[in-house]
Amino acid sequence: MSQPNPDFDVDSYLDKEEGQGKFHRRTLRRLVGYVLANRYLLAAGIFLILVATAATLLEPRLFGYAIDEALIPQRPLLLKQLVGLFLIIELTRLASVLLHSYLFEKLGQNVMQRLRIELFAHLQCLPVSIFDKHPVGRLVTRVTNDVSNLAEMFSAGFVTIIGNVLVVVGILTWLLILDWELGLIACSVFPFLMLASAYFSKQLRVAYREARSKLSALNAFLAENILGMRVVHLFNRQRLHIQRFKQINDWYANAQIGSVRVFAYFQPAITWSSGVAVALVIWFGGQWTTNGSIKPGVLVAFFSYVLTLFQPLREIADKWNIFLSGMTSAERIFSILDWTPEHQARDSENPVKRPEGIQGHIVFDKVWFAYSGENWVLKDFSLEIKPGMKIGVVGHTGAGKTTLISLLLRFYSPQKGTITLDGRDLKDYSLRELRSIYGMIQQDVFLFSGSIWDNATLWRELGGSLEADLKSVLGSTGLSDLKVELEERGSNLSMGTRQTLAFARAMAANPPVWILDEATANIDSGTEKRLEKIFDHSAEAKTTIMIAHRLSTVRSADLILVLHKGTLVEKGTHTQLLKQDGFYARLYRFQSASLKRERKPATAAAPELAR
Amino acid sequence: MSSGAFARFKEDSSFLRFYLWKYRRGVGAGVASLLMVDLLELLPPILLMHAVDTVIQKKPAVHLLYCALAYLGIASVQALGRYGWRMYLIRSSMLAGRDLRQEYASHLFQLSSSFFDRRKIGDLMSVATSDVEAIRMAMGNGLLTFADAFFYLITVPIAMLWLSPKLTLIAMIPLPLIPWFVARNEQKIHQRFRKVQDSFSHLSALAQENLNGIRVVKAFAQEDKQLSRFRKAGENFIRLNMNLARVQTSFGPMLDFFMSLGLVLLLWVGGDSVITGAVSLGTFVAFQRYIQKMVWPMTAIGMAINFYQRSVVGSERLKEILAVKSDTPESTSAIGPRKIQGKIEFRNLSFRFPGTSSDVLKGVNLVIEAGQRISMIGEIGSGKSALLSLIPRLYPVQDGMLFIDDIDINHWPLEELRKQVGYVSQEVFLFSETVCENVAYGLHQWRSSVDSLDPIEGAAKLAQVHHDVQGLSAGYQTRLSERGVNLSGGQKQRLTIARAVAKNPAILVLDDALSSVDVQTEEQILQSLRSRSGRNTEIISAHRISTVRDADKIIVFDAGQVRQQGTHDELIMDRRGAYQVFLEQQQLSEDLEQLGDAYLAQGGNP
Repeated sequence: MSQPNPDFDVDSYLDKEEGQGKFHRRTLRRLVGYVLANRYLLAAGIFLILVATAATLLEPRLFGYAIDEALIPQRPLLLKQLVGLFLIIELTRLASVLLHSYLFEKLGQNVMQRLRIELFAHLQCLPVSIFDKHPVGRLVTRVTNDVSNLAEMFSAGFVTIIGNVLVVVGILTWLLILDWELGLIACSVFPFLMLASAYFSKQLRVAYREARSKLSALNAFLAENILGMRVVHLFNRQRLHIQRFKQINDWYANAQIGSVRVFAYFQPAITWSSGVAVALVIWFGGQWTTNGSIKPGVLVAFFSYVLTLFQPLREIADKWNIFLSGMTSAERIFSILDWTPEHQARDSENPVKRPEGIQGHIVFDKVWFAYSGENWVLKDFSLEIKPGMKIGVVGHTGAGKTTLISLLLRFYSPQKGTITLDGRDLKDYSLRELRSIYGMIQQDVFLFSGSIWDNATLWRELGGSLEADLKSVLGSTGLSDLKVELEERGSNLSMGTRQTLAFARAMAANPPVWILDEATANIDSGTEKRLEKIFDHSAEAKTTIMIAHRLSTVRSADLILVLHKGTLVEKGTHTQLLKQDGFYARLYRFQSASLKRERKPATAAAPELAR
Repeated sequence: MSSGAFARFKEDSSFLRFYLWKYRRGVGAGVASLLMVDLLELLPPILLMHAVDTVIQKKPAVHLLYCALAYLGIASVQALGRYGWRMYLIRSSMLAGRDLRQEYASHLFQLSSSFFDRRKIGDLMSVATSDVEAIRMAMGNGLLTFADAFFYLITVPIAMLWLSPKLTLIAMIPLPLIPWFVARNEQKIHQRFRKVQDSFSHLSALAQENLNGIRVVKAFAQEDKQLSRFRKAGENFIRLNMNLARVQTSFGPMLDFFMSLGLVLLLWVGGDSVITGAVSLGTFVAFQRYIQKMVWPMTAIGMAINFYQRSVVGSERLKEILAVKSDTPESTSAIGPRKIQGKIEFRNLSFRFPGTSSDVLKGVNLVIEAGQRISMIGEIGSGKSALLSLIPRLYPVQDGMLFIDDIDINHWPLEELRKQVGYVSQEVFLFSETVCENVAYGLHQWRSSVDSLDPIEGAAKLAQVHHDVQGLSAGYQTRLSERGVNLSGGQKQRLTIARAVAKNPAILVLDDALSSVDVQTEEQILQSLRSRSGRNTEIISAHRISTVRDADKIIVFDAGQVRQQGTHDELIMDRRGAYQVFLEQQQLSEDLEQLGDAYLAQGGNP
């Protein structure tokens, strides 16, 4: 019934932004910077690799020497000495290999930790708008998987490649020193092999890139289909999608097989070249040994060297993939590090100091703000909040209430107009200074893993009366042990407890300015009363901004603002506004009427819940 | 005891064995090539032995030529063999990986909605990639390494014994050290690896939670505290990694060293034998090569075990998902294809989402006659979405009954049912394909390269999105995956409505599907839906009074039950009823909107 759709274009699932697989010199140079930060480790590691390589190279020579000087002339004593020497060489090799593997692992881990911390610190400093655009999951992958990939590149790829290059160079030199004629003959296949490697590694890169991009298309297709599975079911299109998946899947498998094919040609090429080299050594070396121009031991050493020569090439080819995937990760990491932070990244390393003597005098002067383009959320908004004033803000969803807070915290900056705090433009505060001024309480408290106490203090050291106050507030929820780790990130806590925690979190900041964003929307009236008491005590004579749609919450405010579509439509005290008999008055009458009518106050929320 | 272990092995390796059998030709050819390469690998040391002895005993040079040519011949055949095993064995493993992925994906498409509600998409994806890959690797590289090591371990000692039993025994003295060392460290590596894994997930979780809560962190200016928590976790991760590395990085070099000890013994005892003339120099040289060949299989066995273990973990996860059955299976009592008239009856129906513990529908009784136009109202969480999602049978009906045209929904063939029910939820989902493919999604026979656009445009016009599409750069051929194609939420929502009406369903359900559409457009959509040909029953859940009031029947849903039902005129009779409250709320909301707009029109300032 459903044949494969000839119009299906698999290309639409290819990620066009996915790196082209070629790594730029810039990325490499940047990485070198991180490696050089560990230059002593690096130097020690490379020195040890040199030692290990030397020992590896000595082994066949020692056997050859033993043959020529001890075995053929029949000198048992020299043989015993050589055995001793051999044991020492092997022990040295073991020790240096163990040590350099460890050192390079350490190097990789150090680079990794530094990159991870830098990345994490950088993410802390990015403007919030970035997190609106990029899914958190993908960013986490950068901090974890990509960084680990890179570490593997250092500890596995790097060492193998350096070590093997050294072995190849060492052997080639050593062969020429031992006997330059036979050396040249043995190495005659090498240029051919180098050309072949260059060719194959290019092919391999193409094949891997091909496979990688098809894998990401497969992933994108599958992810999209899992997300839209309901739609697939509703329209009975399972067979079509299975068919399409088969297309992409086959396509990917073919690309994978393509990369196998490249390997399948490359390995035999190495085998065959080494065969030619050994055959040449047998033929020429054998004759020259028979006529006495070279010694038998040298011939034997040649066999060993030539056979060893080709192993590193194979290993380099094997590790090439690790190297490539490490470079891809590096590029992704650096691209995040290049995003512009909202303030200097270094800031976040040091604890912040709040400016002294904040009064809490806030002025919005003709502020215009839009999240994007010309969709103004605030239009020519002006407002003065005097020190110690309690302000209530009410209005529909989309009226711009929460935007006010985002602007005060400078999550976003207004396009036009200024906002000042104690006469200073918000832009003139450092961001972290500024944010430490506010104590914010939100409707839905975000819980971190950790204990109740950690969540209230956000890992700050408190002390003195503040700590005692906090403990008594938290204690009032009936939680006995504040230091116990939350289970499942606190999903088992009651609404009341969570909201108390939100209050405690703000208290712990001991802020000169309080911001309550629908802080009591979800809780029962008992808890609300209790929290109000705490709040009145803590925020006494401090500037407070309360956002609410339950009007009873803002009734007692010194000034109530009614916002509509980004504009201030009414302002005044509760009594004044009721007298005006406008927007606020109607809203208030409706809410008190439905409060009386409904059994449960929680469901009688403002009209906006119905939208 | 051992039979239990065998049963577990059978269970663990069932995928492996299945695909090994399925691709037995490729696998057989691959293993045969490998066997050939390995057997030939035994000859070079003997050729070297002959070459050395020829030289020492000063035999004619033609012997050297034979040796050289033989060597070249062996290398050539080996080159072919190496090509062969990669192309056969590894290729087969990739085909098997492909098959597994296909089986898995096909299975996913057959599972019901409730399965996807409960699973994280990341987990499902990682099964398709890393777990399948682990099984594939075990079959390809795993089998390869294992077979390779196995042949070497058997054949190399035989060749050595044949050359000289005495030297073989001497060179093998360090051999028992290897299993001892491997066993001792394997355990340690396993444990430490576990710890590293745990620490890694902790680190990920920390990063994840931090980024999710970034607004809180910033609002309280607590970046430094977060950073120091993360740094601590990172340091712990590094410490555990280094613990692992200490054991892991010593593995290869130590095995290498044990073999070198064999070489030391060879030089000592073998050298003595050469001096006394008991063994020829050529034999001595051949032994040197053989001992070096023993290093690889020692490392390889460990690698093969590792491949296998990973595949076992992958198999478990894959099997767990493949074992899940759809909870909305195809009906058993097959009634043939028939046109749906559109009568829907819920009889004492209770429902909870699979895997949850509280009922969202509590004994619903409701009859909707064929051809009626129904409005549903109810707050978020009232259960109306759950009720509506049962009509296309996205979830199983277990407790109570649901009849479509007086036939139990469980008896309707699923495909037949869904063909004739158009269901649009509030959640907008479009595929990354062209606009026209998205709208034509339900038209199974429609081909964009062959068929006319008429039915697509017709549906788009119904959903009032035709003009918007025409405004796109490539019109109906615009790909939705492309960057810069910015459809508004309302436009996307209208496309999903067009998609649903394009298949001309007998029953149309719009669950809050007009939420991002403005009032005028909503009005127009409802108008054109009314004039839709072949229309039957329509259920629209909405908020605006204008949308709701003209319905043949209005259903007020609350707390999992039908609170009120009737026409607008009937319902407003009850002045304290839920519908009246809804009307007042909605009226107020709409009035306030107007009032606010009026303020703004006056110039804004109070």
